[in-house]
Amino acid sequence: MTSRLLVHGKVDEFVGRLLKSAEVIAPHRTPGGDLLYASVDTAADVSWDPGIPMESLKRFLMPQRETILQFSKNGKMSVSAVYDDKPKVFLAARCCDVTGVSVLDAMFGGTYQDPYYLMRRGQSTFIALTCQQPDTNCFCVCGDAGPFLKKGYDQQWTWLPEGMLVEIGSEQGQRLADAHADLLVPAELEHIKRRHQLAKEAEGRFGDFRAYVAGAMRKLSMEEVESEVWEQLADHCVDCGGCAFLCPTCSCFTTTDRFDGAEGIRERHWDACSYSCYAREASGHNPRAHRKTRLHARFFHKLSHQWAQRNARHACVCCGRCLTTCLAWAHMPAAAEAIRRGAMK
Amino acid sequence: MNNPYLPLLATIQSIKPETYDTSTFTVQIDEAEARKTFAYRPGQFLEVSIFGAGEAPFCIASNAYGRDTLDITVRRIGRVTKALHDLGVGGQIGLRGPLGNWFPLEEVAGKHLLFIAGGLGLAPLRPQIYETYRQRAKFASVTVLCGARTQGDLVYLDELTQWQTQEGMSCHLTVDVATDGWAGNVGVVGTLLPQVKWPAQEGVAFVCGPPIMIKFVVQDLERMGFTGETIFTTLEQHMRCGIGKCNHCMMGDKYVCLDGPVFTYAQLQRIPEFHT
Repeated sequence: MTSRLLVHGKVDEFVGRLLKSAEVIAPHRTPGGDLLYASVDTAADVSWDPGIPMESLKRFLMPQRETILQFSKNGKMSVSAVYDDKPKVFLAARCCDVTGVSVLDAMFGGTYQDPYYLMRRGQSTFIALTCQQPDTNCFCVCGDAGPFLKKGYDQQWTWLPEGMLVEIGSEQGQRLADAHADLLVPAELEHIKRRHQLAKEAEGRFGDFRAYVAGAMRKLSMEEVESEVWEQLADHCVDCGGCAFLCPTCSCFTTTDRFDGAEGIRERHWDACSYSCYAREASGHNPRAHRKTRLHARFFHKLSHQWAQRNARHACVCCGRCLTTCLAWAHMPAAAEAIRRGAMK
Repeated sequence: MNNPYLPLLATIQSIKPETYDTSTFTVQIDEAEARKTFAYRPGQFLEVSIFGAGEAPFCIASNAYGRDTLDITVRRIGRVTKALHDLGVGGQIGLRGPLGNWFPLEEVAGKHLLFIAGGLGLAPLRPQIYETYRQRAKFASVTVLCGARTQGDLVYLDELTQWQTQEGMSCHLTVDVATDGWAGNVGVVGTLLPQVKWPAQEGVAFVCGPPIMIKFVVQDLERMGFTGETIFTTLEQHMRCGIGKCNHCMMGDKYVCLDGPVFTYAQLQRIPEFHT
């Protein structure tokens, strides 16, 4: 599939056309100065600044809280499902976040298909924007999740002085390019060369801060992690669940019913495996009553080969959000380092 | 797209009190077509919705053969189970399933079968006991050992009494504390193991009960010659979705809901949570 060039003067028109047929979710600078993915109304709402949005794309594919069933009782009960299948375009999505979606795909696909996620996913188009300037806590080079993607996107845009280099990654991305062919020109070999040069330069801009995820994976998968590692991490962790909520791939959920006797709903909402009540049973028995066992379960699920085999890849896209939010020092880079060394520094 | 979260509606047909806090609910799926096509194997479980209270997993406790109703035996202990107990006959509930794996049947043909249950742990074993008894000729013998705190805590007491004299199977009961004129064995369920007269190498054990019971019964069984591969158990866990999505029942590299709830003891030993 050939690459195209979208000259800067045409970008807003392209976005304007996307807005006519779909909800466009893109980085947006809030009045307070935060960078967030948001549903935008105009091309001017899109922020093209470098940096990582505070939250991932997860909430648009799996809302923090969503109604999955409706029930009503009129003599007899009746139950029906509620779906969201509005088309969505994720514009200027960060590479790590697009990679995170591939983990969610594996989680929600498989033997049992999750219709709520998959229906939104089926109606979604991902236009990734390559990162030329990593943010403070980014370490995607350690997890094969950026700063430029090799796969997983429908289109991947790279900012060049002449315009956006548009790489096509799927048939869906091709169809989108074809539909707006009048705004695109074929890319020159020079543009492609520059893109590869920029990718190399971007990789060089990551600081000394690294998480050697692969080393941690080896020890976790072979169950060779010293128990002191979990005890030390448990001393730090405060069970706030922030890492799980901000993680692009954490998808644990629980459900709650609301019913007034006539009309009701079943909602599902995010849950976090670090919560002490997460695995507790009605009898009071709790297989993970101790924080260290919860942390072990968390990092084993995210990084072991056992789970990577089931989910197509390990579940850390190295976006650094857990590091940004962690009140203590029990985030992924800290854990990966402690696991690898056999103790916290 | 098929929606695995959408429950079938079912109605409570009868409620049989088993102990002071536990009852067996016999339910029937409302829709005739779904009732006909609903098939399960002993060991599988259901996600039961009590609309308004929520959803919780329960093993299917009924004989899988020749019935168009399902039994679930439920202790009144949490929000969902209290709401179920309060519903009464005619109440409508939701069912999703059958979910999970099942006990081996063809694989254990020719073996001596030993069922060991503690308290409500008899519920998930009950369909397997009925099924193996129905196909009794395929197995060398069927033995049921069942224990509870007191006589009043024994579930399915009428059936247990019947099994004690039933031809083709042997059934032995024990209680931790003798009350109400109990004249039988007193002691933990492991004290019934001398009743097993055949060599352990030719047997298979199905064990279910509270964690402490499983721990010590398995030690006894291993001493007798059973191995991790010939001891089967079924786990109860906080399973929110039952289909490997919500992650609550994750243990080591397994989901109890998808990879279980039936595990060999050898599989359990490889699960870190099982040791803590």
